[in-house]
Amino acid sequence: MRVLIGGVGYSYLRDGSLGPAVAADLAHETWPLEVLVEDLSYGPVAVMQRLEDVKPPFDRLVLVGAVARGRPPGTVSVYRWTGPLPDESEIQARVAEAVMGVISLDNLLIVAGFFETLPREVRVVEVEPHDEGWGEGFSPTVEAVRSEVLATVRRLACEGDVEVARA
Amino acid sequence: MCFKNLPIEFDAHGKPRLRSGESDPFGTSRAVETSTDPPLSHDKIEELLSRNGHIKNVDFDPVTRVAGALAFHAVADLKEGRIVEARSVATLFRGYEVIMLGRDPRDAIFITSRACGVCGGVHSVTSAMACEMAFGISPPPLGVVVRNMALAAEFLYDHPLHLFLLAGPDYSEAIVRQTNPELWERATRTPAPHASLHGYRTVAGIMTDMNPLTGKLYVEALHMTRVIREAYVLLCGKYPHPQTIVPGGMSTTLSTSTFNEFYLRLAQFFDYSKRVVPLWDDLCDFFYDANPAYKRVGARPKNLVDTGIWDHHDAYDATFANAGAWGDRRWATPGAIVDGELKTTDLHAINIGTEEFIEHSYYEGWDGGRFKTDPIGNPLSPYHPWNKETRPKPAGQNWREKYTWDTAPRWDRQAMEAGCYARLWNTAVAQKIAPNPYIESTGQSLKLRLPAGSLPEMELEWKVPEVWNAFERNRARAYCLPYTALVAMVNWAAALDLMKKGETRVSTPFEVPKKGQQIGVGFWGAGRGWLTHHLVIQDGVIANYQILTPSTWNASPLDPWKRPGPYEEAVLNTPILETFSKPDDYKGIDILRTIRSFDPCMPCTTHIHTDERVISREVTTCACGVDD
Repeated sequence: MRVLIGGVGYSYLRDGSLGPAVAADLAHETWPLEVLVEDLSYGPVAVMQRLEDVKPPFDRLVLVGAVARGRPPGTVSVYRWTGPLPDESEIQARVAEAVMGVISLDNLLIVAGFFETLPREVRVVEVEPHDEGWGEGFSPTVEAVRSEVLATVRRLACEGDVEVARA
Repeated sequence: MCFKNLPIEFDAHGKPRLRSGESDPFGTSRAVETSTDPPLSHDKIEELLSRNGHIKNVDFDPVTRVAGALAFHAVADLKEGRIVEARSVATLFRGYEVIMLGRDPRDAIFITSRACGVCGGVHSVTSAMACEMAFGISPPPLGVVVRNMALAAEFLYDHPLHLFLLAGPDYSEAIVRQTNPELWERATRTPAPHASLHGYRTVAGIMTDMNPLTGKLYVEALHMTRVIREAYVLLCGKYPHPQTIVPGGMSTTLSTSTFNEFYLRLAQFFDYSKRVVPLWDDLCDFFYDANPAYKRVGARPKNLVDTGIWDHHDAYDATFANAGAWGDRRWATPGAIVDGELKTTDLHAINIGTEEFIEHSYYEGWDGGRFKTDPIGNPLSPYHPWNKETRPKPAGQNWREKYTWDTAPRWDRQAMEAGCYARLWNTAVAQKIAPNPYIESTGQSLKLRLPAGSLPEMELEWKVPEVWNAFERNRARAYCLPYTALVAMVNWAAALDLMKKGETRVSTPFEVPKKGQQIGVGFWGAGRGWLTHHLVIQDGVIANYQILTPSTWNASPLDPWKRPGPYEEAVLNTPILETFSKPDDYKGIDILRTIRSFDPCMPCTTHIHTDERVISREVTTCACGVDD
């Protein structure tokens, strides 16, 4: 099973940068050959095109990032993306945002989902941000869940038939 | 004489000076002469709304399929088929100019890049040029050439997006069938005159493939963005925010293989252009033939301004004193066109003619007395970007007073339009482009000779249009595709020549001045036209930084003389040609076609204020635009 772990978010936006920061942390770890870690913060259309290119395709994608949805800050949500897509005008708007440079985990799922380039299994680890102001480091609330997020991503990437062979 | 409103005249040597005997030379109480009449007052509009059931508010908030946050308020007379009020609203504050204060000037290259999720590289280059002028350095020839290639690539990302993802869907089957079914029916039986070039037998075939998400032209445009992004990354390391653009050139390591790989990607745009241009020609002409009133959609005076872009590597020395000379040698000629007449190509005149006003914007005024003249003694207005200060003052929206975060830039106190078509137009009429095998300026047109690829060699010719409207903006944008690709080609050839001669340096060493005051300006351009960064350094740090983008010009509100900005004026001139049986069915497609023809690109980092001038929260979205 080929697995891609991807962080999604902006740099230097405090909690909003959780995705790329987690990807950077995980990229320093040793993974089975079947598992790849990347910062996927380069735009949903470009990511969609990257996924389209991979042959054979990845079997599982684990995405991680901070997404503000009005939950208590620091809430960690883990879910399987089952592919519900909004109506076409909404998809069109998300593609337009994507090509104009908006980096968004939701947009990535919608754009890559619409163009059918997502792996057959998609898991998402989201954290509710507390502070998305410009700057480095996380708020104490999000810092407190960082290790839980890392552990969850590791587990999701390696559960099932991925052979874990850490050095 | 290129100014009719500013109190500036020219001596026998062409040197600008203030007209004598003016007690308040730049005061705004003096009337202006423009080809635009002031629109109806808001009081009059309210009276019309209260008395007539067929006059309706038509608000778009947000305007979709544009970059960033733009809202548009219009009042439409659905019985007479006309728009009686139009207000363009930039709903967010960008704030970059405030962020830049007190920083090392080199930071501006990287921070201002974030102003746009598409064209970060243009902000980086413009900022680097402002630094070069202030530091007294210039890039070596290959540094100039590589910047040109990179920024041509960035525009080749931008143009297909506009033509097929943002503005394009307004002309698709999905939209036309809904808003003008009679046009769709006509399109199904109208042969496409250039079928042999683009492969579509009927105009309806083109419209079907322009359908969003599923149309072949839509999907192909997405693919082409990838091709050119790869080319860009070869030169700049990454997209959209390169880390390789520095004062004095580029920090990229380049070899002939880099250039060969770049060419493989660039060449695909030659064949792409050979299909896209005739396709848009057919589409525009179809609408005109179907109903000549479409020539009035988005129409406004032929008032355009551009700083030019893509320096000639033998000419650019980064000095302000020689800006007139190196500006004239650019692969896109600078220029200000008023009522269809080219008034000047001189960057100095373009610079001193530029002012920004905030009477209808959420800002406070400023003293404006920092610089009475530019570095070579030409008079400067207190409203000039080198004198402007960014002093945000959020307030409630009020159509009589302040209603937008955009400012009102004016050139010679007239509302000017920025766009890549301005660079096409200036270059076509100025006849200053250096001799080359691919691009020829005839005085009335620009001839573009595309090399053979899978398709044979082809000459395309963009002609200065008789009317200026939404369709001509889009048509010109299509011609910007081959024009931009050929500029990249000319510079690619120059790069190989320089490499052959052993001139492989791409950067010049420099030091940031630590004492005294230095000023600089980057005159460059975005995919959508004009881009300037005006920089003031005091004792090694930024004391003032002003960014003026194309959408700042185009989305601007009323000015001190109550004249509308370009979006507003173009919408006011737009007839309602949409077919609808009752007011509730009205979609406003003619208004939307007008606005989107400008390719709006609004603010990036959104700043939410809790109180006056305190920026409490930032949310990065995307795209360049509007003010500050």
